[in-house]
Amino acid sequence: MIRALLLHFLLAAAAAPVAALSIAQADSTAAAAQQAYASGDYEAALKGFEAVAAHYRSASLCLAMGNTHYKLGDLAQAILWYERGLRLAPADEDLRANLDIANEQVRDRLPAGQGLALGRTWDALRGNNPDAWARRSLWACLLLFAALTAAHGARGIARQGAWVLAGIMALILTGCLLMAYARHRALTATDEAIVMVAKVEARSEPREEAKALFVLHRGTKVSASAGLDGWIEVRLPNGTAGWLPASALERI
Amino acid sequence: MNARTMTRMLLLAAGLLGMAPAFAQEIGFTAAVDRNAIAAGDQLRLTITLTNARERFEAPDLGGLVVVQGPFESSSFNYVNGRMSSTVSRTWVLTATKPGRYTIGPAKARIGNGVIQTEPITIEVSKGSAPPPAPAEAQGQQRGDPNLFISLVLSKSKAYVGEQVLASYYVYNRYPNVEIAKVDPSKPNGFWVEELSVDNAPREQRVVNGLPYNVTLIKQQLLLPQRSGTLRIEPLSISFIVNRSFFSRGTPVDARSNAAELTALPLPAGAPAGFNGAVGELELTVKADRAEVKVDEAIEVEVKLSGSANLKLIEAPKLQFPADFEVYDPRVADRISVGAGGMIGSRGFQYTVIPRHDGTYAIGPLSITYFDPKAGAYKTLSSPALTITVAPGEAGSASAAAPRVQRADVATLGTDIRYIRTGDMGLRRKDRWLFGSWPWFAGMSAPPLAFVLLLAWSRKRERDRADAAGMRRRAADRVARKRLREAEAALAAQDSGRFHAALSKALQGYIADKLGLGIAGITPEAMERRLQGAPDAKAIAADAARLIAACDMARFAPAGDRPQRERYDEAMNLIQRIERAAEA
Repeated sequence: MIRALLLHFLLAAAAAPVAALSIAQADSTAAAAQQAYASGDYEAALKGFEAVAAHYRSASLCLAMGNTHYKLGDLAQAILWYERGLRLAPADEDLRANLDIANEQVRDRLPAGQGLALGRTWDALRGNNPDAWARRSLWACLLLFAALTAAHGARGIARQGAWVLAGIMALILTGCLLMAYARHRALTATDEAIVMVAKVEARSEPREEAKALFVLHRGTKVSASAGLDGWIEVRLPNGTAGWLPASALERI
Repeated sequence: MNARTMTRMLLLAAGLLGMAPAFAQEIGFTAAVDRNAIAAGDQLRLTITLTNARERFEAPDLGGLVVVQGPFESSSFNYVNGRMSSTVSRTWVLTATKPGRYTIGPAKARIGNGVIQTEPITIEVSKGSAPPPAPAEAQGQQRGDPNLFISLVLSKSKAYVGEQVLASYYVYNRYPNVEIAKVDPSKPNGFWVEELSVDNAPREQRVVNGLPYNVTLIKQQLLLPQRSGTLRIEPLSISFIVNRSFFSRGTPVDARSNAAELTALPLPAGAPAGFNGAVGELELTVKADRAEVKVDEAIEVEVKLSGSANLKLIEAPKLQFPADFEVYDPRVADRISVGAGGMIGSRGFQYTVIPRHDGTYAIGPLSITYFDPKAGAYKTLSSPALTITVAPGEAGSASAAAPRVQRADVATLGTDIRYIRTGDMGLRRKDRWLFGSWPWFAGMSAPPLAFVLLLAWSRKRERDRADAAGMRRRAADRVARKRLREAEAALAAQDSGRFHAALSKALQGYIADKLGLGIAGITPEAMERRLQGAPDAKAIAADAARLIAACDMARFAPAGDRPQRERYDEAMNLIQRIERAAEA
């Protein structure tokens, strides 16, 4: 009883000051929400996780958000959060498994985006830490200039070795920078969205009276371009395009 | 004869005036029953007696009682001591089909201008010891021969799906001799049907519409509705031959029973998970023939459901066995008796299981839900888990040494989302990335900046170092040139003696100044000692000693000897070398 009260108090306290949430507060709120989830009180857990998610992110948090929505029966939100988590950590097994289960319940069947084997390797290469490649590029930069320094200072065979090393490090740095850039692009992209309403018709023009082209259902993932007056142009994997009201979508 | 009787007789006499009654006797009118309380189906006798009058009288209102026999009339005359009395009586044999309170109304007789009537009689009819089947008249559909008909009676008109209903077919017969020629069986639709034996059914007599019939139970079925709704049971047709005798081939009579309808109620919604379709009253026992076995020894586990229910329709319950037990399909052992009371007995499911690994295992627990139609609710029976201790197999036996394991893929029982991660969530600020942030730019630009700075510093140092060497060389040149200025002048004047003297003096003076030696102390060893730090100290010392000696020799040599340019250069070079060596 006391524990439950404490939990509610903690969650309420965390939810109230939305403006500022220190990392320590966020951690304790998340822990309380985890406990609520474990005891099956999904509403309380959702409240806690949402308070944390307003300012903080991590793959684990996205998994928790997705699971809580799933348990509460909100399939679209669950898929949205699994997708958000996979943006942060493309190789996260738990997120992938849960997303697959949630996608099984989506009515629209769309062709899979990428080949599985290659996709997995690529995801593993991208890594679960969003900053990994940026960090690696810093190290590569440091090592490149260390090798250049060595090449400048040394004489004879050591100098040649240092030059070779510097060349290799330059290649590695280029790779790291490309990866870090690609990762950053993917992290900050807003070109994908989830259909949040039970059923919505895509129109040929951004008008309510325009011709209906196709129907999308809750939880379907589409690529979304920039909007126009509360309408967003979406594209299906097979290239079909149409306009949806912005309220029917939420960007990942 | 008292005054009151006299008055009544006078009245009657006045009333009957002109009718000229032959006798002036007292008139009586009574109704009587032989008993006031009967059981339903029993008979009673109603007698109405009119004394001293010969008027007609009608049957009274029987108030629902059924006439079995009658009326029988009897009359009597008595002539005693000159007084004549007469009695007319009518007798009915009555019965009641249903329990309750019946009232036989007053019987009326019209005598002269007056009406005389009897007192009403109340009959109490109690419930019969064996409730008689509803007479055929109730079904109202009876056609054909009224002397031979079939009546279908259901034990209840409303039943839940799966509840047991008894359907009885009675033959009502008034013929003395009846044979069954052909039976057209009716197959009730929508029911599970269980035929009951009617061999020992008693024959009895019943009265319908006042007619006595021989009643025989000819067919009895246990019906279990399989779907909800109004289910119709089609009539049963039987062809009889009546009155067959030695002299006659008999007369065929076709009889058809009435049809019946049963309202099958659906089971209430929200059946618990363990519901296996049983409807009735049940008990559950789960037992294993032993609790301790060795690996690869078989165990018999029996799940037994006993009671009164649709036992034959119960399916094997899902008993949870440990995953690596080998389980065979259960055998069904029935001990069910089907009678007018329904299916009673037990149905057992016998599982043979063989544990393949040692350890302690739990079988079950098991819970079974059935529907109790009397309570109209689901009831759950549960039995605790059985604990089975499996000991390792015989050591040294073949199976223990090399157990035959049947390998199979891991069976998927169900899928669900994976659980959230517990512990630290590794939270980080939203939308804050290392790539493109100022620490990242700082980190990326620090190494090249440091490298450029290093390069610049090293260039400068190189340059500085190069400058110092040139300066020293230039200083050494200057010293050597100054010292050798006199020798140079002599060289220009082609004065060999002066040239060599100046050269020798300049060299010795320079070495003495530079190395801090006296003129007399200039020896190769001393010079070498002073130039200790230089790598070529020995060569310098030797060269200097040789050059000084050569100059001294040339000073005192014949005058024709010309000053030598090479020797000057050599001296110049030597001074520069000493300068550099001293610097080092």
